[in-house]
Amino acid sequence: MTSPTPQQPRSTSQPTHTTEPTDVSQQAHAPHAPQAPAAPPALYEETRIERAIGRLFGRATGRALAPYQTAVIRIGFSATWLLFLLREWPHRLTLYGPDSPWSLDMARRLLDANHAFSMLLWSDGRGWFECVYLMAVASSAALLLGWRTRTMSVLFMLGVISLQNRSVFIGDGGDNVIHLMSMYLVLTRCGQVWSLDARRAKRARAAAEAEAAAAGEEAGGEALDGAQTAAHMPGAGRGRDLTGIVLWAVLGLALAVAQLTGSYALLWFDNGPFPHIGWSLVLWGLWAAHALWWAVQRYAPGEPRTVLDTLTKLAHNGALLVIMVEVCLVYSTAGWYKIQGSRWQDGTAVYYPMHLDYFSPWPALSQLLGSNGLMVMLITYGTVIVQVAFPFTLFNRRLKNVLLVIMICEHLSIAFLLGLPFFSLAMIAADAVFLPTNFLTWVSARVSGLRERLFPRAVPAGPDGGPGGGEPPARTDHGGGGHTLVG
Amino acid sequence: MGPRRYGSGAELTAWVYGNGAGMQSYGDESRPLAALSLPSRIVIGVAACAVAVIVAIHLAMMFLHVAPQNTLSKQQGSLISDYVYPEYEQNWKLFAPNPLQQNVAVQVRAQVRAEDGSSRTTDWTDLTARDGRAILHNPLPSHTEQNQLRRGWELFVNSHNAQGRPIGTRGELAERYIRRIVMFRMQGEWTAAGGRVERIQVRSRTAAVSPPPWSTEKISDKPVYRVQPWWQITSADLPEGANSQ
Repeated sequence: MTSPTPQQPRSTSQPTHTTEPTDVSQQAHAPHAPQAPAAPPALYEETRIERAIGRLFGRATGRALAPYQTAVIRIGFSATWLLFLLREWPHRLTLYGPDSPWSLDMARRLLDANHAFSMLLWSDGRGWFECVYLMAVASSAALLLGWRTRTMSVLFMLGVISLQNRSVFIGDGGDNVIHLMSMYLVLTRCGQVWSLDARRAKRARAAAEAEAAAAGEEAGGEALDGAQTAAHMPGAGRGRDLTGIVLWAVLGLALAVAQLTGSYALLWFDNGPFPHIGWSLVLWGLWAAHALWWAVQRYAPGEPRTVLDTLTKLAHNGALLVIMVEVCLVYSTAGWYKIQGSRWQDGTAVYYPMHLDYFSPWPALSQLLGSNGLMVMLITYGTVIVQVAFPFTLFNRRLKNVLLVIMICEHLSIAFLLGLPFFSLAMIAADAVFLPTNFLTWVSARVSGLRERLFPRAVPAGPDGGPGGGEPPARTDHGGGGHTLVG
Repeated sequence: MGPRRYGSGAELTAWVYGNGAGMQSYGDESRPLAALSLPSRIVIGVAACAVAVIVAIHLAMMFLHVAPQNTLSKQQGSLISDYVYPEYEQNWKLFAPNPLQQNVAVQVRAQVRAEDGSSRTTDWTDLTARDGRAILHNPLPSHTEQNQLRRGWELFVNSHNAQGRPIGTRGELAERYIRRIVMFRMQGEWTAAGGRVERIQVRSRTAAVSPPPWSTEKISDKPVYRVQPWWQITSADLPEGANSQ
């Protein structure tokens, strides 16, 4: 805790971050520059390793990194799952419900063996199925908008894994990505920007600051943790967060009922997402954490709040790292296994999927594209090169961005050409964790500008409004933090 | 103490405060960590270590799960699969090492017992071709058309040995799954004129995708049929069976 702070990169990033060629150089050099004047011959010279560890610690505890990237993947995955659920609405009973050829009885036999979690096993009734499906739809929509983000991310995860584990054999790669990411998202503060929570927090902060200015005291503190946002503002604390409390109580009650009726998979120490941590422990733990956070905001805004806040940031940053590495694993695996395939070597691989009955919604177009041998070869080789190279290009900002554009374009064409829109959307959402902050804030400004023009004065809050809108300009410096890591 | 506002001006003061003495401050922190009491700092320190360890373990498990079989994953196979399954299972060999180069069609026929006691055998129906027709010119194919039968048949093939015998529970479940998919799709059609389906037969028709026009490869374009034995249909295989538990 006694090392150069992560503060320096931020102060330098303000003027430089538009021109900075690489993240790495910024990370590596920025702390030294300001440190020189600040720390003349010190009594104790830290070793480089100590300094590196200190810097890492500072970054991990300093703030919830990459607010824009986490927001964009939150929006991406929830939108993909929401659109998928809505598209499958007419088929929902066949896919996950009582009309599925994979009967609930068969699902039970499989899940008894592999211990996967699914709320759908709690009851055989059609009513319960409809409840869970609707809950999945509603929580996706709420997560998309960033309403009570932390709570909704838990419900979103429960919806995703309940439905997917119920009928595990109708999913594809896209479902797999959403499954994993829905679990990781629970641990992130993915509603820091572009969310209703952020808007609410900003309003609360503005009110608090106005109040504080009037009272002559300093206003501070921020956090965007779902159910507690409004309550934890020192000034706004007086306004009760009734919605949050009701939501918390209702969900607690629901969980208690499920627990007491001995529902499937609600065990304390077995068959959970981590060794020796059961789903009961996870869900009750999350529930208790919300209460703790709320209580700390309200009654102990000093040190306890700082500690909890720091723990939350640690979890966020850890999960963010896992998400980023996971995306790299996807591309590495996809790329490295392809290298071993004879069709990827002889440059014809791309031709084949386009001629499979299940993946050719536009046969004439597939025929046309598949008729040019040179082009097929270039796309085949290009795909492998991009997938293998991607993780390594993260060390070079410009190259990474070029590859991101290529991969997103490739996924868009897969969406259309192979008839895999939801798979492609999920992959694009996963890619988005590496989008540069500059680009994301630019898009944000464009969107709010467009909205201003389309609906002038429709929202009293002005440019900081809805989920697609801009955010407090002051928060861009937080983006600067994310920018050095992933942007 | 540290900056409590969000302008960049305050941050300049922040790093001035954050000097070598270990005074740290962060933009969205109401108090710098170094100013916390010892227990708080211990809690944060321990949590940071725990997060680092958990992340490292998790990523190692994910890596070993998706990587090819290697020295470590052979040694620790059960440890890895205990951790990974069921919730972190993943497979990113997308069209790798080689893309599928054959169209597998699932075709079915039935023996229908009419009300007068006579029995007839229907013609083969190509369920995959029906899926294909549903996907054709459809920008948003449903999982029911694109995945249900395709992945169901994959499951069936993977859970049966070369002699067509089911392997374990999975094999049994897969067989029942196929019967149910078939009955859910075909029962209405087969029994439109009354009667009841007694037995069904399933076969797969595998046809190689013809090599690209510029290729000189010669591949047999003769489809290969794999015919399964006749399967008795019980009430558990019928759509109503799903609701009657």
